[in-house]
Amino acid sequence: MTTATGRAEPSRTSPRGEPGALRAMWQHRVDYAYVLPSIVVMLIVIAYPIYYTIDLSFYKTPPSLQLRDKIFVGMENYTAILSSDVFWRVTWNTVVWTFGSTVFSFMLGFGAALALHRDFFGRGVMRAILIIPWVISAVAASYIWKWIYHSDFGVIGAVLVGLGITSRPPNFIDNVDTVLPALIVVNIWREFPFAMIMMMAGLQTVPDQLLRAAKVDGANAWQRFWHVTFPHLSSVSTVTVLLLAVSNFNSFIIPWIMTGGGPSNASHIWITHIYELAFGRQRWGVASAYSVLLFLILMALGYFYVRALGGNESKDRGT
Amino acid sequence: MTRSKVGAAVCGAVATAFITSLLSTSALAAPPVDLSKWSPEYVKSVAGTKDFDTAADCAKVTPLDYKGRVTLWYQGVFEGDPDILRQNYKEFFEAFRATYPNIVLEDQGITYNDLLDKFRTALLGNAAPMVVRLQILGGTEFAAKGYLQPLKPEDIGYTSEDFWPGAMKAVTWDGVTYGVPTNNETMGFIWNADVFKRAGLDPEKPPATWDEVVKYSKQIHDKLGISGYGLVARKNAGNTPYRFMPQLWAYGGGVFDEASSDPTYKEVELSSAQSKAALQASYDMYVRDKSVPVSALTNQQADNQPLFLAGQLGMMISHPSDYNVMLDLQKKATGADAEKAQTVIDNMRYGLIPAGPDGKRAVVFGGSNIHILKPEYVDGGKVDEPAAKALICMWTSPEWSLKLAWVGSNPGNLNGFLTKWMKTRLETTPFLDVTTSMLPYGVPFPALPESPEIMNIIVPDMLQNALTGAMTVDQSADDAAKKVKDLMAGGGL
Repeated sequence: MTTATGRAEPSRTSPRGEPGALRAMWQHRVDYAYVLPSIVVMLIVIAYPIYYTIDLSFYKTPPSLQLRDKIFVGMENYTAILSSDVFWRVTWNTVVWTFGSTVFSFMLGFGAALALHRDFFGRGVMRAILIIPWVISAVAASYIWKWIYHSDFGVIGAVLVGLGITSRPPNFIDNVDTVLPALIVVNIWREFPFAMIMMMAGLQTVPDQLLRAAKVDGANAWQRFWHVTFPHLSSVSTVTVLLLAVSNFNSFIIPWIMTGGGPSNASHIWITHIYELAFGRQRWGVASAYSVLLFLILMALGYFYVRALGGNESKDRGT
Repeated sequence: MTRSKVGAAVCGAVATAFITSLLSTSALAAPPVDLSKWSPEYVKSVAGTKDFDTAADCAKVTPLDYKGRVTLWYQGVFEGDPDILRQNYKEFFEAFRATYPNIVLEDQGITYNDLLDKFRTALLGNAAPMVVRLQILGGTEFAAKGYLQPLKPEDIGYTSEDFWPGAMKAVTWDGVTYGVPTNNETMGFIWNADVFKRAGLDPEKPPATWDEVVKYSKQIHDKLGISGYGLVARKNAGNTPYRFMPQLWAYGGGVFDEASSDPTYKEVELSSAQSKAALQASYDMYVRDKSVPVSALTNQQADNQPLFLAGQLGMMISHPSDYNVMLDLQKKATGADAEKAQTVIDNMRYGLIPAGPDGKRAVVFGGSNIHILKPEYVDGGKVDEPAAKALICMWTSPEWSLKLAWVGSNPGNLNGFLTKWMKTRLETTPFLDVTTSMLPYGVPFPALPESPEIMNIIVPDMLQNALTGAMTVDQSADDAAKKVKDLMAGGGL
């Protein structure tokens, strides 16, 4: 077998491409007819907004003018963004937020999946409990956590003061140094069940006979995990991490509701900053330029995601 | 000092206060009330002196049997408002539907902090309602952009003199009037007399100046371990400018010259020594003395209310409606909490907002205005003007402009002060006279399209930068001034 990428098989009748490609399309015209409505819908709801956002990123939109009266400024929005201190601050926040949330959510989820993969009394109940953070509304969770963290009458502060550990409630979200880690904890709490479910599904595909054979060969628990289980989970791990990364890069609800990006921009990440620029400050052009940059980054992540999926399919086919 | 004595004291203060920007226009030819005599006693004396028939008045604008449809978005009641206001809104919509049974009204209430975002988004998609009631800060932006139809009080059966001149300025852009004021508000200063007493302060004497607020706040915190003053510095929250701008103006500062009698909005004043002194006062309370809620950076006034009711906060700026909010919250409390809340309510005192070092006193002249959209921006592309005018006529009538501002503010239509309902309101709403006494000190936000960004983003950012230590006080003020200059020049991020 020669096909290893999972891509469509090239036309045999035309190695040079174009006429053969058209012929292949013609041969598959009925297939194309079936997917045409979906393609049209995608063009309307995805392609046009992308085009419009890119177009808008070259314009200035002062608060006194309607969007239709926008002023063409070329690349000015991009240069303004890249030369602004806020951009680098927000970008750093986004990297910390995305990396921290993704890595720890994955590790915690993986650990929980390994624990729940073993058979023990109450496993089903435990699994259901651990999924709760993922299924409850992010908005509700944000408000609850805001109350838990509250700098004056929060639950954590009350407990710590009550136990005599601190004299004043700790300041989690009104402090520029602690606000982002505090929000990342909330995000991890909400996301790790997703990683757990993905990894639990992956664990069920690890062949028992391989593990038993390794055991017979004298491998201890760690060696069985590292040499048998973990390699088998590499594909699902990659996909899980990429999905978490994309999701975290696009996060909005938790930081916006809990802090609005503050204090002093310390918890602004790209999405919240774009929202504030567009809807709070009506800088539609600048917000669009930010969005285009974000789009490029997410496209890169998407590329790796598709490649990872392709790799999975190849492995599934044993090629 | 009892509540009535507080009223008498503010009466004396107000009697000598000159009503500057709000009252100094030629539009004061024949207002329904004598604004030059404005005082709590005068307000009481004119209440209940005139009868109005709302339905008959509005029938002259739109016949009562008119058949049509109107859509409305309004900045409505939110979590920090008392239940009585919810009831009044409900009654208004019932009254409108009863008065105009053939007009289909589709109304949608949106909270203060969400309305501008949602409205802007709807406008971009030509999906706006026919009528919108916006906070006073928002109208100029949409008028400047050309979304609003010209609309003046005369179009709905009233005269421009029926409304506060300062409020009329806020609905005027480039010489054209684009809306009608529904209500106008000024806040007062609230303190807990019991907290004052336990902290060694005179329980009946509020701080006279902002410097005293800083001092009292520290004393309360040091003596009792609770927060002294209810500072609010959240971004994108209307509560922040409503509480910081009076402080800024009292010190002689400003974003521009908006606190002067004839503002030009040409020079940015945020980096002036006076503005920095005002910011320094907040810094002293939050950073140096740690005498205000730590959560001030992420919270709003609705979070101060339970703190105050729990006896954990000594002073704050708010509406007279906070008294009713406290009553509502107290009803929900049980056992010892209910008793404690009652003690706080019994010890609530209202006074004038403190003055600056030079005796200058100021408060935000707030409120809301109601507007009609141009058809091309409205969902469906049509505006039913007679139906829209019928709705606006009723909302801004002496009766309903008063009832819909019952405990929170004052009627936009000055005739509302003459109604029998005003008399009832004065008899049933404690501390109302204090906030009506603040009206002469009211300063409207700059009537500029850039004002929402300045007040909701730049000013809170300035506060947060200083209070978190991200910048020094000087740097924060200079940074904010630069942002305003850039914004006014059409640039900046």
